[in-house]
Amino acid sequence: MFRFVLSRLVLLVIGLVVASALIFFTLRLLTGDVAQVIAGTQGTAAQVAAIRTQLGLDRPLPVQYLDWLAGMLHGDLGTSLVTGSSVSSQLLQKLTVTLPLAGMSLVIGLLVGIPLGVVAAVRNRRPEGTALSVVAQALAAVPAVWGGMILIAVFAVALKLLPTQGYPSDGWAEPGRALRSLLLPALTIGIIEGAVILRFTRSATLGALDEDYVRTAAAKGMTRTRAVLTHGLPNVLLSVVSVLGVQMAALLVGAVLVEQLFALPGVGRMLVADVGVRDLTKVQGELLALTGLVLILGFIVDLVHRAVDPRLREPGE
Amino acid sequence: MTKHSWAQELLRRPAGVAAAAWIVLLVVAAVVSSVWTPHDPFDTDPYSAWQTPSLNHLFGTDGIGRDIFSYVFAATRTTVVVAALAGVLASLVGIGLAALGSLTARWVRESTAVLIDILIAFPTILIAMLLSSILGGSLGVVITAVGIGYGVNIARVSRGEIRRVGRTDYVLAARASGVGSAGVLGRHILPNVAPVFVVQLSLAMATSILAEAGLSYLGYGASASTASWGRLLNDLQVYIAIHPGSVVWPGAAITLTVLAFNLLGDALRDATDPRLRARRATSEAIA
Amino acid sequence: MSSARFPLPKRLLAAASLAVATALVVAGCSSGGTTGETGKPDAAAVVNVGLVLEPTDLDIRTTAGIALDQVLIDNVYQGLVGRTSTNDIVDVLATKHTVSSDGLTYTFTLHQGVRFHDGADLTAADVVWSLQQVKDTATFQNTADLAAVKSISSPDADTVVLKLSEPDSNLLWALSGRAGLVLEEAATNDLKTTANGTGPYTLASWKQGDNIQLKRFSDYWGTKAKVAGVTFRYYTQASAAINAVISGDVDVQTAVDATLKSQLTGVDGISLKSGKTTDKYTLAFNNAEAPFTDIRVRKAIREAIDSKAIITAVGGSGVEQGGPIPELDPGYDDLTSVDSYDPDDARKLLKAAGATNLKLSLTYANFYPASLGDVLTSQLKKVGITLTVKQTDFTTWINNVLVKHDYQLSIVNHAESHDFGNWANPKYYFGYDNTKVQELYAESLAATDQTVVDEKLAEAAKIVSDDAAADWLYTATTLTAIHDGVTGFPTSSTSARLDLANLAKS
Repeated sequence: MFRFVLSRLVLLVIGLVVASALIFFTLRLLTGDVAQVIAGTQGTAAQVAAIRTQLGLDRPLPVQYLDWLAGMLHGDLGTSLVTGSSVSSQLLQKLTVTLPLAGMSLVIGLLVGIPLGVVAAVRNRRPEGTALSVVAQALAAVPAVWGGMILIAVFAVALKLLPTQGYPSDGWAEPGRALRSLLLPALTIGIIEGAVILRFTRSATLGALDEDYVRTAAAKGMTRTRAVLTHGLPNVLLSVVSVLGVQMAALLVGAVLVEQLFALPGVGRMLVADVGVRDLTKVQGELLALTGLVLILGFIVDLVHRAVDPRLREPGE
Repeated sequence: MTKHSWAQELLRRPAGVAAAAWIVLLVVAAVVSSVWTPHDPFDTDPYSAWQTPSLNHLFGTDGIGRDIFSYVFAATRTTVVVAALAGVLASLVGIGLAALGSLTARWVRESTAVLIDILIAFPTILIAMLLSSILGGSLGVVITAVGIGYGVNIARVSRGEIRRVGRTDYVLAARASGVGSAGVLGRHILPNVAPVFVVQLSLAMATSILAEAGLSYLGYGASASTASWGRLLNDLQVYIAIHPGSVVWPGAAITLTVLAFNLLGDALRDATDPRLRARRATSEAIA
Repeated sequence: MSSARFPLPKRLLAAASLAVATALVVAGCSSGGTTGETGKPDAAAVVNVGLVLEPTDLDIRTTAGIALDQVLIDNVYQGLVGRTSTNDIVDVLATKHTVSSDGLTYTFTLHQGVRFHDGADLTAADVVWSLQQVKDTATFQNTADLAAVKSISSPDADTVVLKLSEPDSNLLWALSGRAGLVLEEAATNDLKTTANGTGPYTLASWKQGDNIQLKRFSDYWGTKAKVAGVTFRYYTQASAAINAVISGDVDVQTAVDATLKSQLTGVDGISLKSGKTTDKYTLAFNNAEAPFTDIRVRKAIREAIDSKAIITAVGGSGVEQGGPIPELDPGYDDLTSVDSYDPDDARKLLKAAGATNLKLSLTYANFYPASLGDVLTSQLKKVGITLTVKQTDFTTWINNVLVKHDYQLSIVNHAESHDFGNWANPKYYFGYDNTKVQELYAESLAATDQTVVDEKLAEAAKIVSDDAAADWLYTATTLTAIHDGVTGFPTSSTSARLDLANLAKS
């Protein structure tokens, strides 16, 4: 186990370094220049050059890259080229919207997906099981943006139950309002995500129903449902956990789109805006933080999975 | 298992048949719309904006008086092109990475695994945003981004499958008798993992349609001169409170098409190899 | 010399009726004008104002962008002179100003008892220093506006004198903008995040990405603000802005999207007001490159475009504009009859120019509505021109179009007032080079009599329009949604400046 953890840790670090290089150098291919944006449409070439020097953008790229890496070793993601404020503080502020959104979506997804997935499997080939599968298939195919629009049309416009768009400007100072603002966006991602989790849980449960221990338990007089719930569920949950690692990326994509639709001041919208003005220091900090988050979660999921499920060990390791 | 029997198996599944029928219809619509649409899909008439559905305008008109039906109809072309090309590219990337990650020397395998993990951590939409900021928004960018993004997923799913096949007796025997990696891949492994790829191809197409819609919605996808369901959603979005009816059409078109590709994928999986059901879990999670 | 600023996303295309500046009383609304009648003003009130574009930082000296002018000038920073919302020059920190008959000496008499927000008294030395800084520092915005100024001095504590090397009829206008702002010489505050001016409001806080708060300055030299403070909130999405005003999150919403105005109809207690702007939505031609070197092609494009339909497509938020100068600017003449909509003639012109089956590309920034490109594509198609539309982000647009001139057609909202000089600058991205226009513009600057200025500009504008140097799609009108009880909010040119000195809430 120790060797495994160590090797995964080394891979994680390599992963972060490679990701940082990929992000840094890809971004340098973008046309346009933040100095030009600051100088504005009246900016002369000399003015733009002066701003570039001031921001340190005239240094060779490898030097800028190493400088950035060195800063990160101290936990410093850099400062915005446009506003001069720290990237990490901006990111933390936006995460107070995006993380609760992702969290709520995930909770909704799990609450919808796991129980209904088990039901769909246990009631397989019966009307209710088939109906659940069909609905899940259909919902999983809904584009998040459209799903959100329908929810807005129904809950905000027609029923006037929830706000259509926006977020209270003092954020969590008014928890009730903040939650209400996040509810429709979280439902949008959560329902679609829930449909995916449902389909997955259903398959995993169907697999478990075929396993020997469930059959044995059923043979001993337990109902199949009880047998699955008592013996099969831990394994089903384990597989769901392993999938959540992969789903994190999907959740983030959902967040970018849904923040745009619901005008939420989260990381996704900030990212879109920062790419727009070529605030590359900020963009690279944000991208690395997001990628790093997914990589680290993947790492943790791997470890958990490994610790709980010894079957995963490869021969010869 | 031969292709012939896949097709027969597929035809026995109603969901598969319905899905295949929808996709055929889509391709037909794509072909027909390149020669004929009821109205010119790009013809605007601001004086007849927001007309309700009628015989003349089946889906009504939008805020600048375009015929929504003709536009949705013409956008099938975009959808078909994106799905086909992105699917092919994703398969190529997937097979390539999976082969690299399973059949090569240990250090190449490990590096590929790391690369795959990093790329998976990069949401497809971010890849597309960057590419389109660099190159300008176009269908090519969407296709490339989805090709890479989903290709990585395919690689992750197929890596294990390839590795499993790679350890079977006949492959080991072939290697022992001096057949090179490429030979083993072409002659023994690909035919055996083909069913997995066919399924993944279908799912990749579903993903590419969702991605195109999302990217065009954000303004990073198709240019304004290309009809796209995602872009129409974007155009109609601000009017959701006043004209909620009009967003139904592009949204339903996307949903039905994605659903069709997903169902086709499932049906193909069932039809090609019952053994694969056990592995269904992994691929569904990604779809 | 002023130049285009590109401030406003979709929503600026907003405004209600074609009858400009008519108060559109929507529902049960009692206040009709911009000055108060009903209710007693509440001195403790804070007014929430919805705007579109947030400034990137607050440095009024070096950072470009009309978003800064909008919030800070008039309210926080002031100059010797200012401008009204309909672009007339008025004295602010000067009690009066005189211009010598040769147009070479400007004498300003300073107000007494003016204080900066940090408590220091305003001196003539601060004024001289501020103007000198702008003139001498190449990285400051609008530094070129003071090019004609030879010397800035204060013969006594109440007077500031500007001497010019040649007459500049645009100087007072320039001084009412950024070039003329008066800052304190001794102050050491960080301009990027704080501000120390002489205006009726102090900058209280800036929560980046969300809001900017102003507070009443209790030591203000003039009539003190009638409200305790103003909070500016930023809504880049048109529908979010509408929701904010309906839900009461903001008391006033500027630049309401006209295509959504029906959402505000029938809402009790909110009235919509339409105001004029100098926002010139311009279809720019790359005059220096083929096929635009052929005047027949340029005229054909102008005649192919139906401005009325375009104005309808943006919710009626504009008036037709036939030349480079909008109604609020000096030198305006109604030129809408030049190259008016005539698709048949357009086809003839294209045929004569040998330009049938013309393929053109249109590149414009993605914060302008997609519908503009869609409608243009469809209108040009009817005369046989195939248009390919590319919407890019603003930075790419600056790089490719403004700097590199790598474009054929572009749509830009040239929002700035008094910006005719662009047509006299052959290096500008228009690529328009006409010596007669350049001479007339120079003469207008050199003129010391305003009627001569107007005549020269009008003559030059007519030439530019006859040359079909661009197509002016429309001048935008702007819609402001105001809750009952809020008075004194300007409704014209709100995207450029927002003087809130008379704002009150009951």
